[in-house]
Order: sequence, then C-alpha cells, then structure tokens
Amino acid sequence: MNKISIENLLYNVEKPARYLGNELNSVHKEVHDKTIRYAFCFPDIYEIGMSHLGMKIMYYLLNNIDDIYCERVFAPAVDMEEEMKKHGIPLFGLESRQAITDFDFIGFTLQYELSYTNVINMLKLANVPIYSKDRNEEHPLVIFGGPCSYNSEPIADFADIIVLGEAEEVQIEIINLYREHIAKGYNKDLFLKSVAKIEGVYVPSFYEVKYNKDGTINSITPKIDDIPAKIKKRIIEDLDNAFYPEKVIVPYLDIVHDRVVLEIFRGCIRGCRFCQAGIVYRPVREKSPTRLSNLAQALLSSTGYEEISLSSLSTSDYSQLQEFVEKLIEKYSDDKIGISLPSLRLDNFSLELIKEIQKVRKTGLTFAPEAGSQRLRDVINKGLTEEDLINATEKAFASGWNNVKIYFMIGLPTETTEDLLGIKDLAFKVADIYYKTPKDQRGKGLNITVSTSTFIPKPFTPFQWEPQIKLEEIYKRQNLLKEEIKHRNITYNYHDAKTSYIEAVFARGDRKLSKALELAVDMGCKFDGWDEYFDFDRWMEIFEKTNIDPEFYVSRKREYDEVLPWDHIDVGINKEFLIRENEKAKKAEITPNCRANCSACGINQSFVGGIC
Amino acid sequence: MYKLRLKFYKKDDMVFISHLDLIRLFERAFRRSGIPISYTQGFNPRPIMAFATALGIGVSSDSEYMDIEIEDKMDVIDLITKLNEVLPTGIKALEGKYIDKKEKSLMSIINFSSYTVDITFNNEITRDNLENKLKEFLGLNEIIDKKYKKRRNKRKSNKDEFREVNIRQNIKEITIINTDINRALLKMILAAGSSANLKPEIVIEKFKDYMKLDIDTTKTRVHRTGLFTTITPEYLGPLDIVNTEDK
Repeated sequence: MNKISIENLLYNVEKPARYLGNELNSVHKEVHDKTIRYAFCFPDIYEIGMSHLGMKIMYYLLNNIDDIYCERVFAPAVDMEEEMKKHGIPLFGLESRQAITDFDFIGFTLQYELSYTNVINMLKLANVPIYSKDRNEEHPLVIFGGPCSYNSEPIADFADIIVLGEAEEVQIEIINLYREHIAKGYNKDLFLKSVAKIEGVYVPSFYEVKYNKDGTINSITPKIDDIPAKIKKRIIEDLDNAFYPEKVIVPYLDIVHDRVVLEIFRGCIRGCRFCQAGIVYRPVREKSPTRLSNLAQALLSSTGYEEISLSSLSTSDYSQLQEFVEKLIEKYSDDKIGISLPSLRLDNFSLELIKEIQKVRKTGLTFAPEAGSQRLRDVINKGLTEEDLINATEKAFASGWNNVKIYFMIGLPTETTEDLLGIKDLAFKVADIYYKTPKDQRGKGLNITVSTSTFIPKPFTPFQWEPQIKLEEIYKRQNLLKEEIKHRNITYNYHDAKTSYIEAVFARGDRKLSKALELAVDMGCKFDGWDEYFDFDRWMEIFEKTNIDPEFYVSRKREYDEVLPWDHIDVGINKEFLIRENEKAKKAEITPNCRANCSACGINQSFVGGIC
Repeated sequence: MYKLRLKFYKKDDMVFISHLDLIRLFERAFRRSGIPISYTQGFNPRPIMAFATALGIGVSSDSEYMDIEIEDKMDVIDLITKLNEVLPTGIKALEGKYIDKKEKSLMSIINFSSYTVDITFNNEITRDNLENKLKEFLGLNEIIDKKYKKRRNKRKSNKDEFREVNIRQNIKEITIINTDINRALLKMILAAGSSANLKPEIVIEKFKDYMKLDIDTTKTRVHRTGLFTTITPEYLGPLDIVNTEDK
C-alpha cells in the first residue's frame, strides 16, 4: 500500500495539525503481509474524537499485540473532505497515511445518534460499500461499538458486526478468531457465523425483523441455528486488573478534553430514570486507589500534561474519593498539576475537597439538578433536594466562586408549567444566596448560566416507552423560560429542539430507518450534531421521500407489551424493573441508590453472582 | 531564578501547528524533560516562556527564539540535550545563552526577518523578465495593503471597514535566488516585530496584483531564515546583542 501524500492539501485547510498523525505517543508500525490492519474510526472531527476515552484504551490495547496495527481515523472536516475529493484521496489512517479501503477491520464507535450520517459518509470516503450485504471477502469487516450499539437497529444494515458492551476482551476474541480464519482461508459468511457465537457479538444480518401492519415490530428472530436469540452485552469483571493505557497521545491541537483521564469506576449506583448510561453500564466496578496512583504517575510522566481528570458517571460515588484526591494533591501540587472532578453530585458534594483542588488550579462550578421542582426531580429519581443545592451554593459563594452553571431538561414526563417555573425559582434563589453572602467572602460579579436541553427518551431506561413532547410544545416551554428568566446575572441557554427531534427518531428507531440514512448521506447530510451543518428541513424531506413518519418514533407512546427494536439485546436489566421504575415515576416515588438498597434490576443475576 | 534565551527551528510536519499549539507543546515538553522551569503565579500556573514572534501556520523557520526562566541553574548544553530528547521531529533547540533578568523582551527587540519564498506561476517565466518586474515593483513609492478592521458592533454597520497601509518601507530587500520553469525562489528581508510587521505572503500578493503576474498564491511556501535586531551595518540577532550573565 502506498503512503498518500497529503502535504499540499494541508496548506489549504483549517487546522492541518488534525491530519498529521505523528503526535507524541502515537504508534507507528512496520506493515508485513500478516499485519492485521484496524482502522479505529470516530465519526466526528479530531478534537472531539481525541477526547474519547474508549478510543485511547482500544488504541493501545490493540497496538500492544504485535501483529495488529490500529490507527486512528476521524471524520475529515468539511474543507479537508473537499480537498480530498478534489485530489482523489480516499479516507486514510492517520498514522500510516494509507487508504483504509483495504484494511482488515474498520471499527466505528457510536457515541451519539447524530453522528450516524458521518459513519456512512466515512465509509463512502473510504471507497467501501456502505451496506454489509454489498461487502465481500475483498472488503474490510465493519464493526460498530459504543453506547448507541445497544440500539443500533437504524444503522444495523451497514454493520457486519456489532459489539455490545465493554469491548476490551471481546474485540481481541474477534480478532483472534479472524486470524484463525485467515490462516485456513477466509470466507466472510463462515467467519460471521462463527463470530456470532461469541458473547457480546451481534451480527445483524443473521436476525430477521418482522413487522406488524401498524409498523411496530412483530418479532426479531435468529435466521440461523446456534446463535443466541438474545444477545448479551459484555462487561469487564475485574476492572482493577483490566488493561488501561500508561500513555496517551498528546495532541498538538487544543482538543475538548485535553488532559490525563483516569477512569475510576464503571457503572452507576444512581438510577436516574432518564439516563441510559446509568442502566447499561451496570454493575458498578471500581478501580483501587493503588492501581489509580500508579496509572496517574505513568500517564503524567509520559505526557507532560498539567491536568488530571477523574472520570466516571458520578465521581463523588467513588468509595475512596476523599483519600484518593488528597493523595493526588499532596503528590502533584508542587508540579502545578491540576485535578478536575467532573460529574460531582450535590448531595455528597464535598466542598472542602473542591477547595483543596482549587488551591492549584481554579475551575468552574456546574450543577445538574435536571428538573426545577422537587416533584419532578422525584419523578426522574434524581434524589437531590433543593436544600442540597442551596447548601452547596452557599458554601461555594462563601469560598469565592462566582461562576455557576446549572443544567436542566425540559419535556420530562409529567412536566407542568409549575415545574418549569421551578427552574426559574431555583436560579433566582441561587442569585439571592450570592447577594446574601458577605461581600468580603464572595467573588466579584455573579454569573449564572441556566441551560436546558430537551429530554429524549432512550432505550433501556424506565422512560423508553414515553413520547417526546412535540416540537411546538418544546418551543412554548423554551419561550416561557426565556420570558421568565430575566435577571441581570442570569443567562438562559437552550438547546436547539430540532436536533433533539432527529436524535429522538434514531434513538428508538428500527431497521426501516437505514434507507433514510442512506438518502441523507446522498443528499449531503453530515455533522448533524453541528448547528452550522444541521438542516432540519432536509431531514423532513428525506423522511417524506423514504415514506417514514418521524412522529412514529418520536412522539408515540409505546405499550409495555410492544416488541421494542432492542428487545433482542440483553444488557442484564429486567424489563420488569424498568416497568416498575416507570410506574414509580408516575407516582413521583423515588428508588434509593444501589448501595442503600438493591432494587433488583437483574444485573446481579445475569452478570455478577449475588451482590454487586 | 535564571533567564535563558534559546534558538530553535520549526520545520517539516511541525509547520502545520499553530503558535498556540507550539506554546502548549513546549509547556508539556518542559514537564517531561525534567528541566526545572519556573511557573507563573495565580490560579492557572503556566511555565514562564516568551517567544519572539508568532509564526504563521505553514511557515517553516530556522530561526525562532524563546526566553524561559528556570529555578536551578544548569549547563546550557545539558538543557538543550534534555529538551531535544522530548521534542518531536521538526522542532529542535539549536543554541542558548543565559541572559540578564533585566534584558528587554524578545518581542520588543526584533525589527527584521529574512525569508526564502518559493512562488509558483501558472505560466513559464524567465529570470530576466522576473528581474525587471521586481525592479519595477521595488521602484514604487506606494504599495497599498488594505487591512480589515474588526467591527465592534456587527449590527451597526454592514460595510467592511478597512484602513490602507503603505507597506513599501517595510520591504527592505527582495532578490531572486533562482528560477526554474514556472517557479522562483526569492530572498526577502522585511520588517518584523511589534512596531511593524509584514508577511511575505502579503508581499507576494501585492507583487502579483501590482505587476499583473499569474502567480498561484495557494502554492507560495515561506521559510524564515533569520530574525534580527539590526541589519545595518551588520546583521545582529537576539543572541548576539545580549549581555550574558556569566561575564
């Protein structure tokens, strides 16, 4: 394979450093006949993709194996795509600058639904047929993974293999099997039949979807013998001893999360009813402080980063957070290394801890009560009281903070005008607290940002049966808040409802949507998550042309007995638990967190024996 | 605290990283190198570094300078060796000197920069013809560049505001190094630094416009060969004019 010359293109594009591929700690290998070439594709631009932890793990995990060469591929920005097309350059691996057209594997991580058009566009840029059925032994195997693969039905026709759950082990098993098949003469169909038996592997082409007259699903069944009717996700049981990279690529560009990321645990004990991650990543598994300390040391010295971030779904639920953070501060404050703790909860929010951290580097303060009233917070099981927020902000203002961001969702099930006004009340109360704080204690100039996003019902959540509110209704509620939140210290931001609408179509979509995705890419849709490229009217035209009623997916209430497009996927959580939670939501009853009381979601029966 | 002036080059793939990227790259390189760099005070401590000029994306240079401060004195050669061990291919520290803490900032002492500029025409050229055009161009008293002003309030005015600047006196020298079919390699000495600054790309654009030449400006490649405080009577650079602390 020839190395593609891209130098002349780089003079004509914005941020050419995106395409260099030779950053510190990037892996470059010699290619032999037997090298297994793996393109790890992130369907968005470099700065977003490079911030993704999963890619960092998989990159080094695969490259640690001698005969595997894993390279990074990001969606080229629009200007680069134009240059590439003009010069007839196909999508290439950043490290080797070779076309990925003839690689063994093309893997995509599906992080958000609005990147699906980029996935298909990237296959096209790679000169690879987009549908699985049109690819043969000559073509790479296309693998999807990541959180959206739990309901990958809208994009399933484009994948050969879909990996469910945590990929560290199963990805290696897939490649090992591939290596065996290559040795004895590779046949795609035989390989897929064999790979479909690996736990955590879903081969969509082997499952038949039958529909009812009304468009709902009648059944999803295996077409061949010896493959599971329900495909189980994979988890890493012993996270403490699982692979974690000791170096990461240090980009030249300022990427979104430009720091050492230390994953402290997986899973979440909370069970917020809107949150898919809180369900699908169960059970909770922690890494030990000893292992984390070693990783921190290795990562900091191999990168020269000035900041380390402790990452998880809810950082304050790490059982030894206080001790661990104190240890980090003690060890690294002389080197001016900052520590950031994203995803802290208010209820056990340790302000002392944050204050300690701020001695080295100052960061902003973000709260996510998600709903404005106590009733609605109980509906979503946020388990957070107004008192928590008041206490936390009181302390924060008294310690000198003056920049606070507060996040809410609008359109949550059962939401009323009263709940919406609760958002305003809460923000105004926070402002009052600031002005009650003595002047010598508080920072100068208060800045409160209230942001609302639109609730999108997601698969494998207690709200998976619920409709999303109609577009007009979203506008009405946003306008109400726009009118109501008028305060010189408070800025109100809201998320574009139209992107949430398209996201809602695909979040709970089925295979009928693949033709819409195909047409969308033909009609030029890409970077749908970016306001400057998203075109709602074009999407509506696409749905009309492909005879798809988006409302069927977005604003239709499903009955409990309806076969859902993801019912053949087993994430280890009982449907009964989700139904129970949805019923409790309707009565605004809360469910305690997993550590306080097991609510029998089912994960400890299917994945871990006995207790989590 | 000790102050050091370093000279380095930036070329090959590294021409594609921006000035801000370069600053971050050095910050992290210093951390990895174990060189005891000093930090700024305040909420976000940063290594103390100051650069001579910001090099545009796509421009290579043999002659970039930076001042740094370190906590403990170390041998300059050792420091350069340690630093080069952690710098990527394409960026390399070349030489350095300890300088007085009161030494004027790099930015304030730079007045000139020399470049080689590779230009491509859409047609074949002859050296004689180009020589004549260049002579004519340098004979002009006025070469006007329109600089766009940033508008403070977008709503108030829809007109593009700009001011006209005569850039002629910022061009000190342009000579032809060689020509080849449709390409020419030029040497330029232009004003650089905080009081006046002229980019070779602008000069080429003006050369093209004023002399009605068919230059493909997307193919212009610029390489900086030197930064100077004075060019007459002799060329003196940032490392030539300083008082070394060791004297």
